[in-house]
Amino acid sequence: MGKTEQTPPEGAPQEEKYYTYNREIFYHFDKEKGYTRANDYQNSSNQVIIKQSWDAADERLQEVRQRVLAGIQSPVAFFMEKRLLEVPMLAAYMEIGAWRVRRHLKPGVFKKLSQPTLKKYADIFGITVEQLTSLDFIKN
Amino acid sequence: MAKIEFEHRQAGHCESGVTSNLLHHHKFDISEPMAFGIGAGLFFSYLPFLKMQHAPTTSFRVWPGQVFERATKQLGIKTQVHKFRNPKDSMDKLNEVLDQGIPVGLQVGTFHLPFFPPEYRMHYNMHNMVVYGHENGIYFISDTLMDRLVEITYDDLVRVRYAKGVFAPEGRMYYPTYVPKNIDLRPGIIKGIRKTANNMVGVPFPLIGVKGIRYLAKSMRKWEKKLGPEKASYYLGQVLRMEEEVGTAGAGFRFIYGAFLNEAADVLKQEWLRELSFEMGENANKWREFSYKGSRNCKKRGKPEESYDYLADMLLVCADNEQKIFKKLATIKG
Repeated sequence: MGKTEQTPPEGAPQEEKYYTYNREIFYHFDKEKGYTRANDYQNSSNQVIIKQSWDAADERLQEVRQRVLAGIQSPVAFFMEKRLLEVPMLAAYMEIGAWRVRRHLKPGVFKKLSQPTLKKYADIFGITVEQLTSLDFIKN
Repeated sequence: MAKIEFEHRQAGHCESGVTSNLLHHHKFDISEPMAFGIGAGLFFSYLPFLKMQHAPTTSFRVWPGQVFERATKQLGIKTQVHKFRNPKDSMDKLNEVLDQGIPVGLQVGTFHLPFFPPEYRMHYNMHNMVVYGHENGIYFISDTLMDRLVEITYDDLVRVRYAKGVFAPEGRMYYPTYVPKNIDLRPGIIKGIRKTANNMVGVPFPLIGVKGIRYLAKSMRKWEKKLGPEKASYYLGQVLRMEEEVGTAGAGFRFIYGAFLNEAADVLKQEWLRELSFEMGENANKWREFSYKGSRNCKKRGKPEESYDYLADMLLVCADNEQKIFKKLATIKG
């Protein structure tokens, strides 16, 4: 299979590409040329959908930030979202039940957590215990 | 031994690419599409009750690990697969195998892969790559997604091999131990095609195969009304990400599968497979058009440019195409 230039179908959006870290392999099919492979960045319409998921993650993070600062949820909720984790996965990393992680999302329960538990959360989040417990870190 | 001589070849799909590259190292040439086809990698399932990244799960391929295992088994290649509870044991075993001069395939999570494109660093545990050597705690990696060879430290490698969550790799490592001299591709191709045809049109369950595509189309029509424009576009985006993003080579593996049918026509000397491979190519282009049009609805704060009914109708065309193709493929004879 030879290399071809990637030509997007008619009507494909032609905007600036956000992600240009790595070129990937894409397959193409054309009645005349048959199957070809080309090495390229994700086309701009794919970049739109990749960006969508990061924008959505960012939006979720801003919402959690507000809830944590308002005292509705604990900082665990914020860093869980920041690391794109969800409760079952975080529970697997913590090696505890999901229901216990869910409890730790409550500010009241969070305040009573032991140092070793806080340390374990902090390690998973890649931060220090001080950063986990001080709201200053979340404000910025 | 530091580096094993290993040819890095980029590929569309990580597991098929790893399978193809590992076998190439053992002097058996098999293309990526051929490995994917014999491994019966193509699939479709839509699981609305299973949420991934806050949206229903759509899958265009079989569970991880199946392509390598099926393809090698069908071809009479002996392999060794290890899983370990203890990370240190798994790293010791990895070193031991590498020191024998054997490159090793690994299943890893992508979130902590330092060399991975930042835009893909999500908690995705089904990625595959090859280690082809180590020296002073640095491991040399050939990752078929990457356009260059990369490296990873011991600690980072432990981290990605022991990522947690759905499909956690649990240190899974695999490599061929015996590759026969003369391999006949034909029986493997036929069995692989039968398996995929059965998965696509033979399973009496509404969320799997062609039925699954139709079910997704039906659900999609209701998204905007039920969820509001923003969430509807996020759900749509999730389908498109599974279809087009990392490791699909585009259009939900339909291009790779078509290329496989094209090669199969040559090997089996059955010209009708070439016709079907072209139909599959046209079908893949239809899927790609679906994702181009669909992505217009996924721009930030954008109003939907295409109606969900229109997009659902496109999916139905793909479902009809695939039903036709796989019904014919199911009749394949050796």
